[in-house]
Amino acid sequence: MALTDQGLVDAAKALALGLGTGFGAIGPGVGVGYLIGKTIEGVSRQPEMRSDLQGMMFLGLALTEAITFYALLMSFVAFFIA
Amino acid sequence: MSRRLALVALALVGVLLAPAAALAEGGEFKPVDEFLNEYWASFALGPLTIGVSKLVVYLWLGLAITIILTLWVVRGGLRTQPGRTQTVVELLYTFSESNIGQATLPKAAFARWFPYVASLFVFIWTLNMISFIPLPLDTHNPLYGPIPGLTLYAATSNLSVTLTLALMTIAISHFEGARANGVWPYLKSWVPPSPPALKPFLIVLEVLSQLLRIISLSVRLFANMLAGHLLIIMCIGFVILLGKLFVAPIAIPIAVVFWIFEWGLVASLQAYIFAMLSGIYIGSAIEPHH
Repeated sequence: MALTDQGLVDAAKALALGLGTGFGAIGPGVGVGYLIGKTIEGVSRQPEMRSDLQGMMFLGLALTEAITFYALLMSFVAFFIA
Repeated sequence: MSRRLALVALALVGVLLAPAAALAEGGEFKPVDEFLNEYWASFALGPLTIGVSKLVVYLWLGLAITIILTLWVVRGGLRTQPGRTQTVVELLYTFSESNIGQATLPKAAFARWFPYVASLFVFIWTLNMISFIPLPLDTHNPLYGPIPGLTLYAATSNLSVTLTLALMTIAISHFEGARANGVWPYLKSWVPPSPPALKPFLIVLEVLSQLLRIISLSVRLFANMLAGHLLIIMCIGFVILLGKLFVAPIAIPIAVVFWIFEWGLVASLQAYIFAMLSGIYIGSAIEPHH
């Protein structure tokens, strides 16, 4: 199996997809964990606030999680389109 | 109850069969094929091509369900003992009124812009919900002869759709902000009070953030739906891609779990977020200083 230019480009694209998605998931991963942990903390302090906190948690969850998808999207662009 | 379960099971079998059409074709399986849009009929209007494709059919379906179902329920006579359909519509209305409309829009603009925000929510929610039901619309990989294969496609997983919706929201918010405050006071309200030395820097930053709103609003919905669908299709497709059957017991339960998660939570959540952020943008443009 010879190393061709096209093969190098394909390898770089595959690396871009994997690395981009992986590194892009680090920040939101920390964020989501922090968010849910803080919500649990809040609920255990004030159980009567549970439904309010849960609503806000889901909102924050969707906003934080979306950042992963920005990275994933850019990785897809690198892999499929570029 | 058992009938509903059977319906869900039927949809699930369809989801699992969706990539199988590509295998039957004997060709190479590409998960991205699911997001191709071929025109079934089209005509040229100057530089534009206007036609009917899978995406357009999905949009029509969403529109028909949104408009006809709600009109049928409301005009068909509301009952004091609501049936199942009426309960769902009432639930949607109360949710969008209390959680989206009243939570984000200022009182003065509520009557004017609540219909827009609510219909945005119901429309995107409908599009997201029907996107997880496999429909026989895949002409790229026909199942057998002229019968189209099953597809798992979302109209909201196309950037043109979400970008159009986001541009509408942003245009409305700027127009309303300029109308309520006057053009110059509205533009000045973008920049928070700050020492004069920082002003040019802040102006650039705020203008940039206004432009980035369009991107973040549209890409959030688009990427969520695209990634969700691609994930499900890829999980099932792994069996085909690798060509080894022993992957199936691992890959297919993962696909099922993601299908339930996306259909049950993400589809509704993203519709809610889109409508709520639209409300926030419009509301904060009308009343800049909270």
